[in-house]
Amino acid sequence: MNIIVCVKQILDPDLPPAKFRVDEQSKRVIPPEGIPFVMNPYDEQALELALRLKEKNGGKIIILSAGGQEALSSIKHALSLGADDGFALSDEAFDGSDSFSVAYILSCAIKKIGNYDLVLCGRQAADWDEGLTGPLVAHRLGIPVINLVREIELSNDKLRFTRVISGGEQVFDVAAPALATVTNEAPQPRLPTGWGIIAANRKQIAVWNAGDIGADVSLVGGRARRRKLTGLFVTERNRSCEFIGGENVLEAADKLAQRLNQLGAIR
Amino acid sequence: MQVFDAIVVGAGPAGSACAYSLAKEGLEVLVVERGSFAGAKNTWGGAFYGPVLTNLLPDFWQEAPVERPIFQHRYSFLSGESCLSVDYTGPRFKSRPYNGFTMFRAKFDAWFASKAQQAGAIIATGLQADDVLKNGGRISGIRAGGDELPARVVVACDGVNSILAQKAGLRGELLPGDVKQGVKEVLEFPPGEVARRFNLFDGGGIDWEFIGDCTRGLPGGAFIYTNKESLSVGVVVGLKSLVETGIRADDLLEDFKRHPAVAGLIEGGRLVEYSAHLIPVSGLGMMPRRLYADGFLVAGDAAALVLGTGLALEGANFAVSSGIAAAQAVLKATKESDFSAKTLCYYQKLLEESFVLKDLKTHQKAPHFLENRRIYSLYPKLACELADSVFTSDGKPRKRTWKLLREKMKGRVSFYRMARDLIEAARAL
Amino acid sequence: MKQASIEDKLAVNKYTIDKDVHIKIDGKICKTCDKHYCLYACPAHCFTLSNGGITFSFEGCLECGSCRIVCPNRAVDWTLPRAGFGISYQYG
Repeated sequence: MNIIVCVKQILDPDLPPAKFRVDEQSKRVIPPEGIPFVMNPYDEQALELALRLKEKNGGKIIILSAGGQEALSSIKHALSLGADDGFALSDEAFDGSDSFSVAYILSCAIKKIGNYDLVLCGRQAADWDEGLTGPLVAHRLGIPVINLVREIELSNDKLRFTRVISGGEQVFDVAAPALATVTNEAPQPRLPTGWGIIAANRKQIAVWNAGDIGADVSLVGGRARRRKLTGLFVTERNRSCEFIGGENVLEAADKLAQRLNQLGAIR
Repeated sequence: MQVFDAIVVGAGPAGSACAYSLAKEGLEVLVVERGSFAGAKNTWGGAFYGPVLTNLLPDFWQEAPVERPIFQHRYSFLSGESCLSVDYTGPRFKSRPYNGFTMFRAKFDAWFASKAQQAGAIIATGLQADDVLKNGGRISGIRAGGDELPARVVVACDGVNSILAQKAGLRGELLPGDVKQGVKEVLEFPPGEVARRFNLFDGGGIDWEFIGDCTRGLPGGAFIYTNKESLSVGVVVGLKSLVETGIRADDLLEDFKRHPAVAGLIEGGRLVEYSAHLIPVSGLGMMPRRLYADGFLVAGDAAALVLGTGLALEGANFAVSSGIAAAQAVLKATKESDFSAKTLCYYQKLLEESFVLKDLKTHQKAPHFLENRRIYSLYPKLACELADSVFTSDGKPRKRTWKLLREKMKGRVSFYRMARDLIEAARAL
Repeated sequence: MKQASIEDKLAVNKYTIDKDVHIKIDGKICKTCDKHYCLYACPAHCFTLSNGGITFSFEGCLECGSCRIVCPNRAVDWTLPRAGFGISYQYG
């Protein structure tokens, strides 16, 4: 089974707010100097499902990532975990692409690879949390899509997807090829092994540009954006502390409940 | 399974110097680094001195992420709200090759490791060396990330808490009396502000060390280093004396930041990082007797190669030097196809011939002398009180400085004791 | 300059918190200890004294190794966090 996993490199979600700035004028996040980008954690879980499928059924895992130097480190990380091959999709024309353009870029690369049974993406990227790219890639490729997938099995030549819903699960059988976006209820990603890291370091990662994947440059980059970001704000948070007492525990609890109700914290 | 020519554990100054030197000679070198990038786990005061890096990578500072070349040295005695300073700057410090630089470890180590990588070493970050592999009596590799990674020789450059040197049997447990604890804040300022506050319009920087009340009389000191647009402000104190007196290093740092000689200079700085680290300071007194074993070498802080002279603590240049020496011993062993202790002992011989062990020998009495509490409490106090009297104009008849000193010493320290301290200082430092 | 609390200081650092605890203490030993060197040794205030016993929270750990060596009763079982976890300095 050939699986393509699309990964995105993002600003480390563990960064404390003090480490980056939001420029509300240019509506951009200024990343901290020197701290490397990391692979989107949902994509890591997508890769984990891919690795489990490969361990059970054999096949090959190919990593695709749109981006320059940062993409290479995410692909390297994926290779160290056990992916077979990885390609960085990088071109000056791609700069400033939004989810719609990135989905187009990824779909061009997937068409170039051609021989695949399954495409996996994280449910969303932990930076902007839009969750658009996966479904848009499926739409571009004209293949079925199942989102919020927790488990994938190969069953009688069909792909069986277990999908998480509120208080339950849905199971879909789909003929390959298909695309799934993977939810955080999927298994946690493994840690790389020593030899995995060494092998990933030795591997040359090929970079494909717009010409290599036959992408129409009028559909990518900042000029292809049809949505204009007009505001980007960090929510202001205030903390305060009050001591609430009483003659006894019951009275204190009662006063606490009244105060919380008054503040709108409980109803 | 592949056997590496050498596995270097830790991508700090010692590890990268060693890996770079080996890879340049065509050896297949693996560097194992537990941080998610080289430098991620490392911190220091903030200054690097000497020609050792320039010898390895000529004009490194033009390419490396250095903050400021150090043009100025300042030493201050603190007592109460008083401060007595000595300040030196000279043309030699302002010309190339520079004598020293302020730098950040997270940035410098990442750069240095990238040089080793460009030379052909594999830098495996996010990988922790858990143990050494033993084959008979000799060390034959490491265990890391659940895998066995075999090598002809393992060079442990894994820092002050070196787990590998312990596992290899070269080192016992660290003792609280053998280390100092350093805590540091990086305070960021708007562009141009650091230069304005410290009069640094020629691009140079200051290495400023403090002694006295900043450690409440405990062995150690405080420091301020000027970076491009930030300050590194910290305190270094003997760990044993901290726990025995129930004082916390970070409380000392808060006091230091509020001292009148310091507060105004750091006012308004935005805290961007708080870090802490141990520094091995007992020199030869704590260094493992042998820095080599069959298939194994230990370098840098892991071997306690740090020089404390009282004026400064130097470790990074010793680390680079020992890393290079370890590489030379590995190259010799490779040539002779013998990685036993018999050949690898060449490493210790190289260190004995270089400034690394010569300096540590010259100053071998320093760690003991620097435990003398009078250095950190009484003498800074006397110096400040004397300066106070000498500079005070109160309309009364003046006294000779000598007489003033004698008055101040009365009941606090005898001439005999002070003379002995001076002689000991002269012998130890 | 306003005095900064240790929480304020640690809040600007970058940590990747593991679900596994890398330093464990033997609470039974701590209850019998009258020195509590760990309280003063830890530059991140990871050790706190409550009801005569010591509690330890590893989240702010700066991985300096001080607690490993100051405990006179060897009640601290010290290891480094797994690779990829713990503190990541941006400056250092």
